[in-house]
Amino acid sequence: MAPLTPYTFFQCPCSEPSTLGQPADRSSGAGAGAEPDADDEDRAFDPRAPRSNYSLYPLEYLLYCEDCQQIRCPRCVAEEIVTFYCPCCLFEVPSSNLKSEGNRCTRSCFQCPVCIGPLTTTSLESHPDPSLLAAPDNSAVPHSGPYMLTCSYCNWSSTEIGIKFDKSNGIHAQLAKLRNGGTTRLTAKEHKERRKDLLQGGGPSTRTAEAAVDGRDLDVDTQFANLKAFYQNQLADSSSGGNGLSSLGDLGFASPNSLSRIMSIYTGGNLHDKRSKSRIGVMREALDSDEGLKIANLDESEAVEKLQEEGYDATVSTEQMSNQTPNLGEAPLHGRGRFTSELRPVPYLLRTKRSKRCPICRHIISKPEAKVQATRFRIRLVAGSYIPSITIRPLNTPEANPGAPSDTLQPLKPVQFLLTFKNPIFEAVKVTLATPAKTPGRFASKVTVLCPQFEIDANTDVWDEALKDGDKDKRRRRGEDGPHQAEAGKIWERGRNWVSLVIEVVPASLRLDLLALTSPAGGHEVDTGPLREDEDLLEIPMFVRVEWEADAVGDEIGSAPNKDKEGREKRELAYWCVLGLGRVSQS
Amino acid sequence: MSRRPPRGEYIETDTGNKVARKATLVGTQNIILGGKTVIQPEVMIRGDLVRSVQSASAASSSGASANNTAVSIGRYCFLSRASCLRPSGRFYKGAFTYMPLRMGDHVFVGHGSVVQAASVGSHVHIGARVVVGELAIIKDYVRVLDDSIIPPNMVIPSFSIVAGQPARVIGEVPEGGHEAFELRDLYKTVGNNPHPVPT
Repeated sequence: MAPLTPYTFFQCPCSEPSTLGQPADRSSGAGAGAEPDADDEDRAFDPRAPRSNYSLYPLEYLLYCEDCQQIRCPRCVAEEIVTFYCPCCLFEVPSSNLKSEGNRCTRSCFQCPVCIGPLTTTSLESHPDPSLLAAPDNSAVPHSGPYMLTCSYCNWSSTEIGIKFDKSNGIHAQLAKLRNGGTTRLTAKEHKERRKDLLQGGGPSTRTAEAAVDGRDLDVDTQFANLKAFYQNQLADSSSGGNGLSSLGDLGFASPNSLSRIMSIYTGGNLHDKRSKSRIGVMREALDSDEGLKIANLDESEAVEKLQEEGYDATVSTEQMSNQTPNLGEAPLHGRGRFTSELRPVPYLLRTKRSKRCPICRHIISKPEAKVQATRFRIRLVAGSYIPSITIRPLNTPEANPGAPSDTLQPLKPVQFLLTFKNPIFEAVKVTLATPAKTPGRFASKVTVLCPQFEIDANTDVWDEALKDGDKDKRRRRGEDGPHQAEAGKIWERGRNWVSLVIEVVPASLRLDLLALTSPAGGHEVDTGPLREDEDLLEIPMFVRVEWEADAVGDEIGSAPNKDKEGREKRELAYWCVLGLGRVSQS
Repeated sequence: MSRRPPRGEYIETDTGNKVARKATLVGTQNIILGGKTVIQPEVMIRGDLVRSVQSASAASSSGASANNTAVSIGRYCFLSRASCLRPSGRFYKGAFTYMPLRMGDHVFVGHGSVVQAASVGSHVHIGARVVVGELAIIKDYVRVLDDSIIPPNMVIPSFSIVAGQPARVIGEVPEGGHEAFELRDLYKTVGNNPHPVPT
């Protein structure tokens, strides 16, 4: 198992039961987390609770609303799409195009259907003879068609499904007209002509020829158009028909009412008309391919034969299948390939740039520039620039054996970790920490924070630090001089805008027999089940309260008297976080 | 033995580049370093793979000297041990030619990675043992996780987290994660008299 690097997760207040029950109007929200209700007071955050998975985030993922003065997480912010763009050609797609063209790139950006690598358009003609390299004069001969799409990762090419392109641009439009094997799709007009030809051919074979048309040439698009036209005719007929008996016939698929409702759903609502209430009657269904009838081809012998020949390697994986876009050019029911030899190139899914709003006050807390290529943000209020970051590293005391493997924690052997708090704001902050003495869960490790209360200096200008460089260095080194012992009530080290302190942990033993012995007698039944997933992970819940004084925000009318008092106001922010220290050795 | 003062592991240039003596730079005249770039031992940069066919527009507008760059690297880049930068080649108007490899600022290339991209943006983190395929384009603020293989010609848009073989975009760089791409502090920790790693 890979060694676990210590981590810190922060809890977003959106999942706290106390805030969940409250109304949204909490403009003075800073104190809400710090003053829990009386019944709430003993409740410690349990990082193992199934719900905790959803509220814990690394600091980078958290945003901060300045108006609510509260942490916001990706789960609680409201997102708004700023721009759609293709991740391959990086062209912006206007939102009006999305409605008509769908959420995929309609230029020439495709992914390999086999390995999802990018496809490139290359000329089918072979590259010129290498000997021509010597003569650069004839290098200006341009490539000419036909073109194909090739994957440079797995060497798939569109010639495998028999597709070639005449032009090197606008591949999406060309591909839409091509069926696997290279034949072009029949347009509706061509369908009619072909049918007419067959009818004119006459004779006893007409029916069979027609059936052939049914079986193969009817693609999804045409079938839909045919069906639509057919049902529209039916509706027109039935509305002119006489009044029937009861409203019972109004239910079911054969009734004009439900039909017009369904059609208005699937064809954009323009079919719904007010007279539909008066229509009663039963209509017939489509009878031939011209009316949109498609007879299912139940003869699977071809597929079975192919499977026997090529085996399961030739079949499509679920992932490949789900990547495929519906192919309107193929016959329905059988349009989805089951073999890798039938897969079609996948146009790139569009990607978005999104701005984020605070869920409570609706202020924007993150807004990227609309241009695709721009990487700047107009607004970017991240939690990292408001709340102190916490970094963890093991404290190597001199007596510890440096050669010992440090990737796991030894049970029942005290370990010390160094927590470094770094203050990002321009005011000095007072930090108060609280941890439960024993971690929650079956295997309770003992935790002692040696200095639960301390102050961090302001994040002053970098130049101040540079000017006071000598002084600061002295301060920093003081800790490394003599045998530095971790003392209770004292911080370990202090810097310009950071403070480090020691936390001592006695990891619990993971032995199940010990679990039964050490648990309090007379209590509830001891769970001596086998070790569950991640139960060896030592995670410490820690409540952090940060207090500082800031310039009063004068945007509220009610805050005016406060402002007169030196223009300063006290702020505080309190939240739970989880320190992941490592895994406890199971031996 | 000469009596020169003991030589450090790195050559530090006026512009702040720190180039390991054990790095292999081929065709140095075709390599441009923007300054404050760290090149660790066993790194190889193939500056000899220079463009052999001059494109018509470039040759007429700018002089031949500008076109001879094979690899250009911005400021505060960090090339870890045993990584390799190699310009990619392709057929251009019927003849094979190499295309220059452009790299922005604050680019980290992990241990043992091979980069053959056409361009790598700024603030890019490429993990260890990564292969960046030929003519790939990596935009700004991209994190490539360890052991990824970026297929040739792939375009990776900004703020992507990329992993897999072949690589695919698996996530987005969060808003608060932009500062993590800064390599100024890392730059200070290597060299002949390195600063200690900040806590």
